[in-house]
Amino acid sequence: MKRFKNIVLVCFVVAIAAIYALPAQSASAASSAALSIVPKKNYTIEAGKSINDKLVVRNLDGKTPLQLTLRVVDFTFTDDGGTPKLMLAEDAPQTTWSLKPFMTVPKTVTIKPNSSKSLDMSVSIPKGHGAGSYYSAIVYSSGAPDGGNVGLSASGVTLVFTSIPGKVDENLKLEQFGAYDLNAKKPGYVFVATSKPEAIAYTLKNNGNVTESPAGSITLKDMFGREQVIGNVNPSKSLALINQKRTFTACIKLKSEQVEFEGGSTKSTACADPDLWPGFYTASLDVFYGQNGNKTQEIVSTAYFFYLPWWFIIILVIVLMVIVYFVWRVVRAVKQRKRTSRTSRRR
Amino acid sequence: MRHLLIRLHHILFAWRRIFSEELLAMVLVLLVFAAPVSAAMRFQERSLYMNSSAPGATTSYTISFRYMSPQVVGSVDMLFCNDPIPYHPCVKPAGLDVSGAELSQQSGETGFSIQSKSDNHIVLTRLQGMVTNNSSSYTFDNIVNPTDTSQAFSIRLRSHASTDVSGPQIDFGSVRGQVTSGVVIETQVPPMLIFCVAEKVSENCTGTNNNYYANMGQLNSNTTLTAQSQMAVGTNATGGFAITANGIPLSAGTSVIDGLKKPTKSAPGSNQFGINLVANNSPAIGNDPEGAWTNAVSSPDYSLPNQYKYVSGDVVAFSPNVSLVRKFTVSYIVNSREELRPGVYTTTITYIASGRF
Repeated sequence: MKRFKNIVLVCFVVAIAAIYALPAQSASAASSAALSIVPKKNYTIEAGKSINDKLVVRNLDGKTPLQLTLRVVDFTFTDDGGTPKLMLAEDAPQTTWSLKPFMTVPKTVTIKPNSSKSLDMSVSIPKGHGAGSYYSAIVYSSGAPDGGNVGLSASGVTLVFTSIPGKVDENLKLEQFGAYDLNAKKPGYVFVATSKPEAIAYTLKNNGNVTESPAGSITLKDMFGREQVIGNVNPSKSLALINQKRTFTACIKLKSEQVEFEGGSTKSTACADPDLWPGFYTASLDVFYGQNGNKTQEIVSTAYFFYLPWWFIIILVIVLMVIVYFVWRVVRAVKQRKRTSRTSRRR
Repeated sequence: MRHLLIRLHHILFAWRRIFSEELLAMVLVLLVFAAPVSAAMRFQERSLYMNSSAPGATTSYTISFRYMSPQVVGSVDMLFCNDPIPYHPCVKPAGLDVSGAELSQQSGETGFSIQSKSDNHIVLTRLQGMVTNNSSSYTFDNIVNPTDTSQAFSIRLRSHASTDVSGPQIDFGSVRGQVTSGVVIETQVPPMLIFCVAEKVSENCTGTNNNYYANMGQLNSNTTLTAQSQMAVGTNATGGFAITANGIPLSAGTSVIDGLKKPTKSAPGSNQFGINLVANNSPAIGNDPEGAWTNAVSSPDYSLPNQYKYVSGDVVAFSPNVSLVRKFTVSYIVNSREELRPGVYTTTITYIASGRF
């Protein structure tokens, strides 16, 4: 009996030890957290029609399968840039531009190591639905691990934008326009730039019911009348979301190169040295916006800025000091001559 | 000197009536009315309706606008360019062809026919006539859409009194259009976002050490507990990417070690939970972002060596445009007060990578 008790005790201890050891194993043997997804989808769907599309998801891990749960959430903007603010809370209120009710995506998916899967998705717009822009995001979440103090989980997001054609309310208001310092700790507009401004920016407030992607050009003129034209003021096709105050930046000089990305070539662009001389500059903005079949609207504005690098300011100060010194010398010499002539006359 | 002042006073006194309110008003009236006499006006309520916005499709365009100047009009010039600005050089939108265009409908100011057309240019002509119907629209069939979805195109409009668009313009303005659904070019990789997270990842995300958690050890008020994880990210999307860190800070039941709201140095003995994405020496942990491609960067608040922050939902790394895969090392620090309630403090940080709009 005593022996039996010992066996039961040993079994119990082994079982407890196994329970404690298991989570670590299951966590390490859980899902992969290396994925490749489509970052953005754009559709134009008439009310009463629907589209069926594929979402290609790839498991980049060569050993572990990728287990994902999919859900659709709404999003808005974080600031005046293009980073989406996802409304992840389960009880988050539905936005007026939500595409959630019209979207269908699978709930879960498992993808073998080093392979990809095409997931069916659809967007159906009910008949009579109002024209405008609607958008939501698909979140792909890898499982959360058990064990440890800090667990890691990876999620990818596809932003889905749908435009329902028809008469829409379009209203962009220019908030700011001028030279923009991209390299500052906190990038922003500058009136007197001590480092060469590489970009011109404009901030538009979207008061309409559609996302807007303006197009147009900026003409930059120096104080001698020489012109540089920025032909594409929105090279990334950035969007101003509904109610967003969006800052669009355009490089004064753009350099682009073809780079290899995942077995194909892709064009990468960046701002190049704009070849600006110190001085006073005038920038003229002319941008257009308007959805297909709606009024084309135009925004024009002019902005001014100085480009005064420190070396130029120092030279300017030295030159001014030299001029002041010589003027002072001349004035002094004239005064002295007058004084001498007066004294000689008195004599 | 006194003489000079007296003379100046005499001159000004004689002119005192000239600088009157009447003169000021006359100058203002001149400014308002004199300027527009010779200036051309912009067409208003301009719009373009493309029956199909598919790239390369043969479709019909309806161009509408309102004539603003009550003058005689004999011709309208329509030039299709990438840039809408009338005085800039015109670059023809890739793939566009209006040489086969036919004017199928017109309303408002009518009586027009096509006088000449080329790949990106249409000239409408009619017998010279006074503008009476301001809002007008013209529908052209058999237009081949541009193929470039990456940029909008424009139609530069000008009206002239002559019947062959010669002589001064009367009204002008541009309408804008864009082809929307993409044509996949074989050599071009469709937009994709690559992302991986683990304790250790390879630079191109092809392998991880498959460990997704860190045991930081026993909390005490004298030492800082640390951990590290890595993530790699890259995209060929023109808008770039953003990674946010999400999740509640370390907690055990209702007891929470709050995240640092702003970049702060590690201070043992106080409750702190924070992360950053650069190399630190106090405590010695972390690494600067790795990879030759410098478009992708860590956010300013998470790029300060020896300073840590954690606010759920914050963007911790981003790229404003295309970025080849770059690796980031995330450092975690935890400090605790002596009187911290005993328990197993845990959290799960979810890194969310998304494209930008």
